[in-house]
Amino acid sequence: MAPFDLQASIGSTGSYLLYLAIGFGFGFILESAGFGDARRLAAQFYFRELRVLKVMFTAIIVAMTLIFWSTALGLLDYNEVWVNPTYLWPGIVGGLIMGAGFIIGGYCPGTSLVSMVTLKLDGTFFFLGLVTGILAFGETVGYFNEFWHSSAMGRFTLPEFLHLETGLVVFLVVCMALAMFIGFEWIRDAVYGKEK
Amino acid sequence: MNRYRNMRVAGALILLLASAALALYGQPSLEQKWSFMAESVGSGLAERQVYIDPGELLALMNNDYIDLIIYDVRAETDWNWFHLLDSERVDLDKLAAQRDRLLALPENAVVVVVSNDEIAATEAWKRLMALARPNAYILEGGLNHWLNIYGVAGEESGDHGETSLATPDGTLRHPFKLALGERHAATRPDERHAPQRDYTPKVKLLKKITRAGGCG
Amino acid sequence: MNNVADKTSYWNPYLSGVMLGLLLFLSFFLTSHGLGASGGVNRIAVAVEDLIVPEHVDRTPYIAQMAGGDRAPLSHWIVWQVVGVLFGGFVSGLLRGRVKVQTYHGPQISSRTRWGYAFVGGALMGYGARLARGCTSGQALSGGAVMSVGSWAFMLAVFAGGYGLAWFFRHLWQAGE
Repeated sequence: MAPFDLQASIGSTGSYLLYLAIGFGFGFILESAGFGDARRLAAQFYFRELRVLKVMFTAIIVAMTLIFWSTALGLLDYNEVWVNPTYLWPGIVGGLIMGAGFIIGGYCPGTSLVSMVTLKLDGTFFFLGLVTGILAFGETVGYFNEFWHSSAMGRFTLPEFLHLETGLVVFLVVCMALAMFIGFEWIRDAVYGKEK
Repeated sequence: MNRYRNMRVAGALILLLASAALALYGQPSLEQKWSFMAESVGSGLAERQVYIDPGELLALMNNDYIDLIIYDVRAETDWNWFHLLDSERVDLDKLAAQRDRLLALPENAVVVVVSNDEIAATEAWKRLMALARPNAYILEGGLNHWLNIYGVAGEESGDHGETSLATPDGTLRHPFKLALGERHAATRPDERHAPQRDYTPKVKLLKKITRAGGCG
Repeated sequence: MNNVADKTSYWNPYLSGVMLGLLLFLSFFLTSHGLGASGGVNRIAVAVEDLIVPEHVDRTPYIAQMAGGDRAPLSHWIVWQVVGVLFGGFVSGLLRGRVKVQTYHGPQISSRTRWGYAFVGGALMGYGARLARGCTSGQALSGGAVMSVGSWAFMLAVFAGGYGLAWFFRHLWQAGE
């Protein structure tokens, strides 16, 4: 049953190569999808381009369906899968700040890497800002340590939160994502006229 | 343009159907999960590698560097007659509630499951493995065997002796006169005075599969 | 309007999403966790910091847990993944002739203005990503796929923040009115 002990099966070198490969795929897909271009990314927030929404949520629902079918068939052990622990308020506040950063800077950390590596200057400046912000966080988090550790709910999943079966939640998320695609496309067409 | 639209509709339908089917199929129960795991994990059971000698359990109890959790899965009446010091009583059906705790255990944690003979404990062990794959072991021979070795005859109980070696049937086969729970001497035998045991140590501290995920 | 409708042929977003979803699934299946980015950048930055001011690193708890004392901040999967992202992005750009020195900016502002805003945006992103314990790759994509409540809340907050402020920064991206 997956996930397997990588250290035991392919060793450290093998593990690092695997991560390199996964990262390579990630970067390749991001650049191919146009995520190295801040204008397209920011356009999401004006309903002009829906790339961010479509790529992100399609990826989530595809991965989710595959993951939970794997657990249902006994191929994957959900208990061994890393589920980000929930720290509700730091997550929300951090998310709002990131939303601001997105609209001002035009990238997110992953996409800025892709932009920078294809020699885009705005991506490079963004990356420098990214490093600065990260280092600034390390220096200042000591001042609000309590908040940083607050609202910790541990491994808290949507099915537990909604008191619904896992499979049903997956289905609902898929429906919601598809509805969003249709809805946002409708808005875009209404505001900007039909485009290809 | 039409072909593109058809492909999108097809994709959407596939996802809808796949997730709807998933909702109907459901996620595996603990027993089903065990059957998936049985092949890879079950060899430990078959080869007795997860059954530890009472002497080893005693050593674990006295080891300050190990975070020891003892799950006692017997009925309350048996628990009241005798149970190991610092053990916790958990019903078989209530094991599932331990999941979050088990997933959060530190690297030096060891879980030992005990019952009267090994029968209930083995069942509990399987469920724990399906639940959270903790570093768990089973007390060999159960508490009956433990009492054979460490039991002390006295006012609270008759002579422990060999009566307990009768066919294992899951019952507590020791002649306690008083239900003292954990206040019998045998619940935490003194290592210096208890009979020395020769055993093959089986407990290993496992390094967990990378629990470090997320953005670093 | 034209600044978005370039002639460059990017992949169809839905198709990209499917590919990314497959990759994400593979990641979970093989490694037990998803993707990530900001953590890798964090560790690389801290590794450099450790070379310059190691005593400071040791004395600041948040950084020390990554690089204090003998710890090696770079021996973590996410660092390797980030390196992979750089390679993958580069190769993809190279294959399509998109590796060019240029600045993407909205039609109303200059490149320099864009650089300034990019830096500020990046700083906000960096700060927010560590506060949220992840960025859109680690929290939203990966955490979202495995149904972490915190990740979904985070995702909503990111979109709320972006949409909420979009009007005020439209001069950065929109054509003149």
